[in-house]
Amino acid sequence: MSDIMDIKYAAAATFSSAKELYDAAGKVKEKGYSNWECFSPIPVHGLDAQMGYARSKVPRFTLAGGITGFFTGMLIVWFMNAYDYPLIVGGKPYFSPIYPFPVFYELTILFAAFGTLFGMFFLNRLPRHNHPVFEHPDFGLTGDDKFMIVIEVEDPMYDDEETASFLKEVGGQSVQIIREPID
Amino acid sequence: MMDESSTKDTSPKGLSTKLLAGSVLGLGGGLVGLFQGLQSGDKAPFLGWLWGCSFWLSIAIGMLMLIMIFRIFNSKWSPVVRRQQEHALSAFPWLGLCLLPLLLVAWFGKDQAGILWSWINPASPTIEVSSIISVEEDVLHQKKAGYLNLNFFTLRLIAYFGIFCGISYWLRKASFSQDKDGDPKWTHLGTKVSAIGIPAAALALTFGAFDMFMSLEYQWFSTMYGVWFFASGMRAALAITILICVYLVANGKLKGLFKQAHQYDLACLSLTFTIFWAYVSFSQYFLIYSANIPEETFWFTIREIDPNTGLRSGWFWVSMGLIFGHFFFPFLYLLFYRTKVDVPKLVFIVCWILAFHLLDLYWNIIPGREIVPGAFVGYEARPVIGSHLLWGVFSLVGVGCLCAWAVIRSFQSGIAEIIPIRDPRIRESINHHE
Repeated sequence: MSDIMDIKYAAAATFSSAKELYDAAGKVKEKGYSNWECFSPIPVHGLDAQMGYARSKVPRFTLAGGITGFFTGMLIVWFMNAYDYPLIVGGKPYFSPIYPFPVFYELTILFAAFGTLFGMFFLNRLPRHNHPVFEHPDFGLTGDDKFMIVIEVEDPMYDDEETASFLKEVGGQSVQIIREPID
Repeated sequence: MMDESSTKDTSPKGLSTKLLAGSVLGLGGGLVGLFQGLQSGDKAPFLGWLWGCSFWLSIAIGMLMLIMIFRIFNSKWSPVVRRQQEHALSAFPWLGLCLLPLLLVAWFGKDQAGILWSWINPASPTIEVSSIISVEEDVLHQKKAGYLNLNFFTLRLIAYFGIFCGISYWLRKASFSQDKDGDPKWTHLGTKVSAIGIPAAALALTFGAFDMFMSLEYQWFSTMYGVWFFASGMRAALAITILICVYLVANGKLKGLFKQAHQYDLACLSLTFTIFWAYVSFSQYFLIYSANIPEETFWFTIREIDPNTGLRSGWFWVSMGLIFGHFFFPFLYLLFYRTKVDVPKLVFIVCWILAFHLLDLYWNIIPGREIVPGAFVGYEARPVIGSHLLWGVFSLVGVGCLCAWAVIRSFQSGIAEIIPIRDPRIRESINHHE
């Protein structure tokens, strides 16, 4: 171990039931930690509220995308049909919000979908190839029957001993420090 | 406890009596209007009557479709909500009864038979380009006479209500019987009834909308019309469903059973059908606008301008009101999460939607071409405000009270538990989570 350079990433504790995880998450939140995460093989209802998560900010990207799309559609139609190359088609006006509405509408949906997808990527910091938490020897079990709470070193309240003993206190079974090796 | 139950026993009876009194008053007033209309040849009370019926009918049809959709998707969250909607289905026979006077006039009205649906009377005056002719001379009626004739029309109306009442009966039976014996066969029956019922009810409501509302101007046609009626009905039914559930939570019956997650999902469906309504309504306008065929465009023209002067009429503002009030405002409002989970905010918008739904039906049913021999184009468009509104309010209240009475009677009859306690999905529905 000593010849490999590594960076201390976090303290991790495992739990063996969703209830233990849920209760422990409440205590971690109460204690005031901010940079931490839960891992679970199954969806645990209410865990996000227990962890003190607010609602996702993705819808804001969706709305912004939708509005951008709507006006982009308008701009395209106005530029092509009324400004750059005015042409009468079917006796309709050069520009009107009615006949090209499908264009506005489709671009609204397209850009809203882009906003949602890329907004989600942005907020999740995706795509990424690796994550330090994979270094935990039992991390694979959080896809099977283990639950895990990970408190990052980045957290202002983090302290090697204090955090580890706190994790034991809230019911963590094997508490260990995750280190990310650097080649 | 004793006191509370005894007051609960007496107050519903008082409410039933009040509702029945309201329906007698409303329908009685409306009937006076119909009678007077027959005497003087005034179409207004008939249009008002149809408008009043259409509002409640659209809600009942929306409820029916929602139940069948919940059934066919075997959705886990819906049973708690579905039970409340099943009670609403008990309004159908009464709605059929409310439409009966219009049919009776069509059969026995003699020279006034075509007072509401002009094509029923071959001698009714109608417009061809801008000359006044009779219905039987009109080639646009001659070509449609195989469909638009009184016998077939009557048969169809009976068939529509047969379908609505029949499906309602079986859906209610399947659901309520399961409360007693818990037999899963009732769930299978409900699914089967829905599988047959969705296409049957879809056809009935589409052709029902064609027959009752679109044929008011028999020369005009739109294949989107049935879909429009469906979308409107779904919006109104979702609004009423939310109101019923929120009320039952407030008075304790559904407290803890109807959760925020149910309310959120119903609100999301409201948003969906707000968009769908706009999509359908706009498509109808858009296609007619693009094609620009006179026998189609006149329908929208009389909803924008006075055909004799070319100036904007009151209907223009109603049309604008629908675009902004029935689509843009509810759409933008319902986009936000808080407005869907906060009870007062959601109640506000569903009441708003119901009010604009009423206006939407008004906009679809009331404006029509009144033959005026001296007018420049041979007709005048019926104005926004007129006696049809007054008569409409009578039938709106009358039919509404009658339907509310039937639904509340079903709620209080003890025929069913407050939720389908033995539905295989009930545990998942009660534990529904966002």
